[in-house]
Amino acid sequence: MRTGVFFCQSDDQWDSKIDAIAKYSANLPEVETVQNMGVNPRLNIENLSEQIKSRNLERVVIAGDMPGYYKPAFTKAMASTGGNVDEVRLASFQEHGATNGNTLDRAKAIVACATFGVPFSLAAVPGGNPVNPSTMVIGAGIAGIQASLEIANAGKQVYLVEQTGTIGGHMAMFDKTFPTLDCAACILTPKMVDVGQHDMIDLMTKSKVISVSGKPGAFKVKIKRKALRVDIKACVACNLCSDACPVKVESEFDAGISVRKAIYIPFPQAVPNAYLIDEEHCRYVLTDGEKCGVCVRKCPKDCIYLDEEDKTVDIEVGNIILATGYDLLDVGKIDQYGYGKYPNVVTSLEFERLTNASGSTDGRIVTKTKKYNRKKKEDEWVFSSEGLPPRNVAIIHCVGSRNKKYNAYCSRVCCMYSLKFAHLIKEKIPGANVYEFYIDMRAFGKGYEEFADRIKQEGTFVIRGHSAHVEMKGDQMVVRGEDIFNDKLVEFDVDMVVLAVGLIPSPGTEELSRILGVKRDVNGWFSELDYNGNPTDTDRGGIYVAGMCQAPKDIPDTVAQASAVAAGVLGSLTSGKGVGNMSSLPLSEIEARAKTIHTI
Amino acid sequence: MAIRVNPGFIDVLDRFGAEDVQLCYQCGDCSTVCPHADDIFKFPRKSMRLMQMGLEKRLETTLEPWLCYYCGQCSEQCPREADPGETMMSLRRWLISRYDFTGIAKQFFKSKAVEISAIVIVALLTAAFLLNYGFTNGSMNIYDGEGAFLPSSFIHTFDLIIGSIMIFILLINAVRMWYFIMIRGMDIPVPWWLYLKEIFELPWHFFTQKRYAECESKNENYIYMPWILHLGLMLGYVTMLLLVMVFLEQLQAGPEIKWTVHIFGYLATIGLLAGTVYFIRSRFKKNYIQYKKSHSTDWVFVVMLFIIVLTGIAQHIFHRTGLYEYANITYVIHLMAVTPWLLRMPFSKWAHMAYRPLAMYFAAIQRAAYARQEAIIDAHPVTIK
Repeated sequence: MRTGVFFCQSDDQWDSKIDAIAKYSANLPEVETVQNMGVNPRLNIENLSEQIKSRNLERVVIAGDMPGYYKPAFTKAMASTGGNVDEVRLASFQEHGATNGNTLDRAKAIVACATFGVPFSLAAVPGGNPVNPSTMVIGAGIAGIQASLEIANAGKQVYLVEQTGTIGGHMAMFDKTFPTLDCAACILTPKMVDVGQHDMIDLMTKSKVISVSGKPGAFKVKIKRKALRVDIKACVACNLCSDACPVKVESEFDAGISVRKAIYIPFPQAVPNAYLIDEEHCRYVLTDGEKCGVCVRKCPKDCIYLDEEDKTVDIEVGNIILATGYDLLDVGKIDQYGYGKYPNVVTSLEFERLTNASGSTDGRIVTKTKKYNRKKKEDEWVFSSEGLPPRNVAIIHCVGSRNKKYNAYCSRVCCMYSLKFAHLIKEKIPGANVYEFYIDMRAFGKGYEEFADRIKQEGTFVIRGHSAHVEMKGDQMVVRGEDIFNDKLVEFDVDMVVLAVGLIPSPGTEELSRILGVKRDVNGWFSELDYNGNPTDTDRGGIYVAGMCQAPKDIPDTVAQASAVAAGVLGSLTSGKGVGNMSSLPLSEIEARAKTIHTI
Repeated sequence: MAIRVNPGFIDVLDRFGAEDVQLCYQCGDCSTVCPHADDIFKFPRKSMRLMQMGLEKRLETTLEPWLCYYCGQCSEQCPREADPGETMMSLRRWLISRYDFTGIAKQFFKSKAVEISAIVIVALLTAAFLLNYGFTNGSMNIYDGEGAFLPSSFIHTFDLIIGSIMIFILLINAVRMWYFIMIRGMDIPVPWWLYLKEIFELPWHFFTQKRYAECESKNENYIYMPWILHLGLMLGYVTMLLLVMVFLEQLQAGPEIKWTVHIFGYLATIGLLAGTVYFIRSRFKKNYIQYKKSHSTDWVFVVMLFIIVLTGIAQHIFHRTGLYEYANITYVIHLMAVTPWLLRMPFSKWAHMAYRPLAMYFAAIQRAAYARQEAIIDAHPVTIK
């Protein structure tokens, strides 16, 4: 078929590599003419039909980042010469993942496929590698749990690797979910129990991936499993060990607002439901067994083995799912809100634990009270059930988000959880005033706008205008802001300030991206293969992303993406095509495959 | 009244130094941290908004840019790095050009080539005029008195003429400023006696620059005191201007030092020298946020002043040590810098000196007027049945 290739692409974005691609395409069989049209929004249709007629072209290929834009002009020209309009083909660099000058071969392959009249996705199927049926999921938050359950329910083996002592992740810390105000634990804990009891899920808590080798479909993974030091099958969670333990540590699960012991259970519904040793603080472990060991003596089941050692296990898996989640930005470095300086300035996660019924105040929202710390010999501000409820609470949005100094991006969930906080405060403390300082209200999801409306109608003061300043005037905390709609500078006396802190990738993301060879974007989140077309794959075949570790998203989106990932994994296991690296596919192979498909 | 929107306004302001206005997303952080923003004058956010919307006519009548002393807290805080502090500075440049009826200020701010060539031309004309006068009427070896190269009586007249031109233009511009702000910018009546009541604001702000100090009071570093240096520079300048305009003949007399006049001269020189050196150094080192960006006019300002101070000092030393020839040469160079400097004043940053206290004065009147209006409304409540 006599083919004409027309490049409709400016050379600037491609660092003058369009010429190289043009030269390549001129050598393809049956290509009559190759022309560089540049970026010209108004193509001369008569001129085009003239060319098609004079060269007797039967097929036209439009190549460029967005060739679809030019298709109508070429279709018209083709029709006017009496040609087959179906033979106007697009070679879209952007659609098939050749978005800059580095992926020259990919771009060439895209043009080649178009000239052969073969869809790129048909010719360039990464894979061929036979797939090991087991899957590893890294991170056991809601995304990891969901993906594991989907795959395990389909009858495939899953290794669920979790760094902390329990699964559940951040969602387990939440009290309510927006916008439905469902109890987060009621949704999550049944899933957690499922994971704990599932035959096809091998749960590895306190474990870390230390190396990954092999190729897509057959990864060899080394996992370091920290010693649990408690026989989790025998432990009945009687709490006697914890009562006896003399060491007190800030609880990670409670976002640091309460204390736990060095032998502890993160929360009553933890899975596996057994006690853990915090080896960084355990006196016995730190002194190599010279001191303490009181928990061993107290344990009625004799299931504590403080001398147990870490071990490394090797597993072989076909696919890997990344679900490593997020962390809060270190708000200590943003000093204008007085976090760390004034006791009642708290982060969103701290507030979440404060308002949670399983938290240290049994869900009562209170201000901090002064307590004497005998060990440090100084007064400390702590949350306790005797604290007074705050009468006025300010919630400041966009702390560190949408801010060029910290996170340039929007963290997506803060507006909604801040509104949720407003509701919880008004529900739990009748007559309390809540001031929401926002810049732009991002209530975009299903039911979110209605939720925002509801909160406003409940009498929350929703102030358009950020507050950049929290200060003490005597004993009173004062928040200063600008009420932009009302054109007033405002100062409110408040008892508590909640900072809607921005989200960042969890601290292990960088290391993991190095181990796995998965790219990260400018903000540090894992990069997906294609934001629109392939939001769950990474550019390394057989490795997928789910949940927050790709970009901030809310729980519904996280669950949806986790299920989508599971579909991808199961597809690779059942299709028989195998998996492979998209980027490692050589040009010659794509070309050869396109030719064979072409001849069929 | 409909408001005219100028969609190209942002591009105009770009030339005055406001490069990042479009980055602003109206969070209000800047207004919150500003030590000077209050219930009536809210800035910089509001000014940023007016600029983004291209509300040129509205901006022309605002006082806010003059109430900002550029402590830079807003720019430090700005989450978008839109640099509100520098934007307010650029607005002041733009306002100077709007108040100026001749249109020269606009050309100077927009193009440094125009500004510098104008300065050079005036300097050369001055030199030609002075040399011509000196060589026909006097001798290079005599500094003062009979047969002097540049006799003090002649220079005195020369100074007075240049000074009158400057003051004439400045006065007209100040009247325009008053018209923009107090007539077009006010939607409520301002009784005449408020002008008398608040008149003390004018000298008070002129001689103390109190609000500048308020800006710095928030700064924790006590050694960082641009307010004192700025005030010293300004007072030194005013003293020197007064000495030159009124007491020039005493200043230029004899090699012996006349302490009754000269003591003021020395104090003024210290103020000027310390100020210029500090500000040039800061602009080079860019050590504080307000010195990060320097408009070409800022450089011309400090460098010219520095040249004037240095040549003034040199001339003084040569004169007192009897090196009359050198004294005369430096005198000519000194005047070559002083003449364009004085003529340029109404079109340049130096116009601050007049506009700032005026703005404080107007602000006080506006505040009083709003308070009065509120009192009237309170006293006569309208009830709707």
